Amino acid sequence: MLYRPLGKEVIGLPEGERIGVFVCECGLNIAGSVDCEAVRDYAERLPGVALAVRNRYTCSDPGQEEIKKAIVEHHLNRVVVASCTPRLHEPTFRKCIYDVGLNPYLLEMANIREQCSWVHLHDREAATAKAKDIVKIAVARARLLEPQVEMEVPVTKAALVIGGGVAGIQAALDLADAGHQVYLVEKEPSIGGKMAQLNKTFPTMDCSI
Amino acid sequence: MAEEAEFKCLRCGHEFIAPYDKENPQEHTCPKCRSNSVRRIKT
Amino acid sequence: MMDVGRHPRIKLLAYSEVEEVSGYVGNFRVKVRKKARYVDEEECTACGDCVDVCPVIMPDEYQMGLSSRRAIYIPFPQAVPSSYTINIEECLGVQPIACGKCAEKCDKGCIDFDMKDEIVELEVGTIIVAVGMEVYDPTLLDEYGYTRFENVITTLEFERLVDSGGPLGGRFARPTDGRVPKRIGFIQCVGSRTERRGNSYCSNICCMNTVKDSLLLRDHYPEIDITVFYLDMRAFGKGFEDLYKRSKDAGVRYVRGLPGEVKEDPETRNLLVTVENTTAGRLEEHELDMLVLSVGLEPREDSKTVQQLLSLSRTSDGFFLESHPKLKPVDTPTRGVFLAGCAEGPKDIKESVTQASAAAARAQIILNQDKIPIEAITPMIDLDLCNFCGRCARVCPYGAIVDVDPKRKVSPRVIEAACAGCGTCSAECPVGAITQRHFGDEQFFAQLEAMLGEGPEEKIVVFACHWCSYPGGDMAGVSRLQYPPSARVIRTMCSGRTGERLILRAFALGAPMVLVSGCHFADCHYINANRWTQRRVERLWDRLERAGIRPERLQLEWISAAEGQKFARVMGELEEMRKKVTPEEIEYTKQVLAEKA
Ligand SMILES: Cc1cc2nc3c(=O)[nH]c(=O)nc-3n(C[C@H](O)[C@H](O)[C@H](O)COP(=O)(O)OP(=O)(O)OC[C@H]3O[C@@H](n4cnc5c(N)ncnc54)[C@H](O)[C@@H]3O)c2cc1C
Ligand code: SF4
Ligand code: SF4
Ligand code: SF4
Ligand code: SF4
Ligand SMILES: [Zn+2]
Repeated sequence: MLYRPLGKEVIGLPEGERIGVFVCECGLNIAGSVDCEAVRDYAERLPGVALAVRNRYTCSDPGQEEIKKAIVEHHLNRVVVASCTPRLHEPTFRKCIYDVGLNPYLLEMANIREQCSWVHLHDREAATAKAKDIVKIAVARARLLEPQVEMEVPVTKAALVIGGGVAGIQAALDLADAGHQVYLVEKEPSIGGKMAQLNKTFPTMDCSI
Repeated sequence: MAEEAEFKCLRCGHEFIAPYDKENPQEHTCPKCRSNSVRRIKT
Repeated sequence: MMDVGRHPRIKLLAYSEVEEVSGYVGNFRVKVRKKARYVDEEECTACGDCVDVCPVIMPDEYQMGLSSRRAIYIPFPQAVPSSYTINIEECLGVQPIACGKCAEKCDKGCIDFDMKDEIVELEVGTIIVAVGMEVYDPTLLDEYGYTRFENVITTLEFERLVDSGGPLGGRFARPTDGRVPKRIGFIQCVGSRTERRGNSYCSNICCMNTVKDSLLLRDHYPEIDITVFYLDMRAFGKGFEDLYKRSKDAGVRYVRGLPGEVKEDPETRNLLVTVENTTAGRLEEHELDMLVLSVGLEPREDSKTVQQLLSLSRTSDGFFLESHPKLKPVDTPTRGVFLAGCAEGPKDIKESVTQASAAAARAQIILNQDKIPIEAITPMIDLDLCNFCGRCARVCPYGAIVDVDPKRKVSPRVIEAACAGCGTCSAECPVGAITQRHFGDEQFFAQLEAMLGEGPEEKIVVFACHWCSYPGGDMAGVSRLQYPPSARVIRTMCSGRTGERLILRAFALGAPMVLVSGCHFADCHYINANRWTQRRVERLWDRLERAGIRPERLQLEWISAAEGQKFARVMGELEEMRKKVTPEEIEYTKQVLAEKA
């Protein structure tokens, strides 16, 4: 078991919280029902926030560049991205801040798309108020985030494929051809699956086995 | 094994009887409103 | 298929089932039961001498029961591994005195009635789930007369009937009289695209399969008259429209409309089909010699076993759920586990193969690394606070907390590599000695304080788990379902993390309603951590009631990643409940809980 130090710490954490908030418009996906400028303005005045920026598409290359630049120029030590669900882009933005030396655990996401703009399409006022609240909650959490060190585990160089139909066969062959040990487990006495029962197959109209 | 208990739904108030096994808890759903906020009534 | 049998790096375990999976990405430990074949797989040359002497006659599954096999059998001649198998439940030879004829006949002595199931233990870094699908059984769809009328068959049975390796040796004929039918009909969407009996989705392959079948018949039996009854013909793939056009040009008749009823003429055993031709706008009756039901695909009935072994989820249609429908189509929520083929949804061979190659490539991202990082969300135990009660070790689903002993006052120790980071231990520790990294109590308290600092009475506190209920909320968004704006969601990795301290703090800060939500029991991503969530909420309902607080204000809901509908519905229902919580109640709750703290 090994520990991998995260964050090159090139910048070093400046004293005190310096949070950068990046409010994404996602084209009209967010801006269509949330007043993003109002949210940005609100975020800028929250405790601990050093900078609040509005982006058209935060996840795009220019959007990510802007975060990186801001971290360096404004000595940010925490980043809040107010955009889509963390299940989509948390890895993207963790990598983004890591690239300029910030520990990836110093990122917090505020989901103002899936759980705000998209579910309150017709009430701009309420959606904007809720988005502000979501950002405020994220900033409060961000203030207490700490850099973390990840553990690394070794990888067993073998794969298990469950099911020996055409899909399982293809996956097993690809992995084995790439040099990995493969165990193919098939429930029935023979592999082949449904395809083995077919006579000819579309679109080529040739034999299946 | 197949013991039963009385439950009350904390969403719609419906009371009903359903299987209950203390050792092996199951997901409970109110048959009337589909809520999982179903509380066992101590008798 | 042959390549698999021959490949030096593929170990094929046929007639086997996965029984146990433990560990985590990069380090799965798997137990496989290799069922006894009673025939030595390596030695058997598939000569088939044993077959003729076997007295047991059973329907042949491979031929869809259209012919028979013996208790000792090979599923089909090209089988891999190329070995016979005895189905021991059918065999009479369990007590060799009763039969054992095959063993006598086999010169090589491959047959061994004492063979036992074998447990094979494997260590692997990644797992690909390619368990495929089942074909819809139209027996229940009584109006088409399947099983009542012998000349009504399914497309899979059709495949066997036309195959040269099939029960009729490739001479296509109808079941009742062995004659080549003159008029044959196909009915599309059987068991698909229906709200009644069957599945609501399109099975994806059956349109093209029928086009294929019609062309095969045209090639070999040009005299047969072919009619296809359909709802829409879906020929969306590369080269598909060409085939469809070829079929139409070859004189196959396509009638838009699904038959309402099928009757049999008892004398000729012909089928009388009544259908509303919606293109022509008239009721038609067709007399056919044979009817083929174009059956759809379904999830396998035993999918649940695999689902539980690997902590996967399934969509409401029963197929396995991918991590993201567009961007991560072959990943699953369990890191290191991937999907390929019809296990994920109905699809044709090309798509199955494409997905399999994608899954293999995704798996290699892991396999090509020497080490992979584990998220830093493991617990840290403050030994100055710990009273050695042992609760943390008891609730951990992974046995990742060890050593603790209340009697001898030995402190707990965390095995980080085994910990999956559910946070149940830190939620359950009675003295708050455990902090989950990145998800500590203080961080949650800060979120609650920010949320409830202004106008708390208008907000609903929603705790949602990372794997199911939070993505369920995302799904509501993706589907643009609209619900009241009062919900404020706090994400935990597992609902097991939502401890009493968090819930009570929310009420103490003036929250009118609190929802605890997590994965359905079968979907729990931390084996069974959400059982502790349920017990905890039940405990809290009692406590709240004793303190004079309405237990209804604490709600519990299991919401899967696919249940956007449910998420939105629950938010609506909770909003109704919120409106009924009075300011006096909230004030009283704050006071009671402040006294306790
Ligand atoms: C009538 C019919 C006609 C078709 N015609 C065509 C066609 O012409 N062209 C075309 O492209 N597609 C066609 N298809 C679709 C094609 O059959 C599928 O795309 C293909 O079979 C999918 O392969 P698979 O590996 O995902 O699943 P399957 O073929 O179902 O294979 C799954 C395998 O996994 C095994 N398995 C299941 N559970 C377990 C377990 N728990 N442990 C171990 N092993 C397990 C099964 O025994 C099976 O061998 C047709 C389908 C049908 C039903
Ligand atoms: S970060 Fe998310 S919300 Fe913003 S542009 Fe990208 S996808 Fe849209
Ligand atoms: S592929 Fe064609 S026959 Fe099959 S369900 Fe879809 S529309 Fe119906
Ligand atoms: S976080 Fe979960 S898996 Fe890890 S030690 Fe605690 S209870 Fe066990
Ligand atoms: S639950 Fe808490 S007090 Fe009990 S042994 Fe674990 S860390 Fe110590
Ligand atoms: Zn109810």
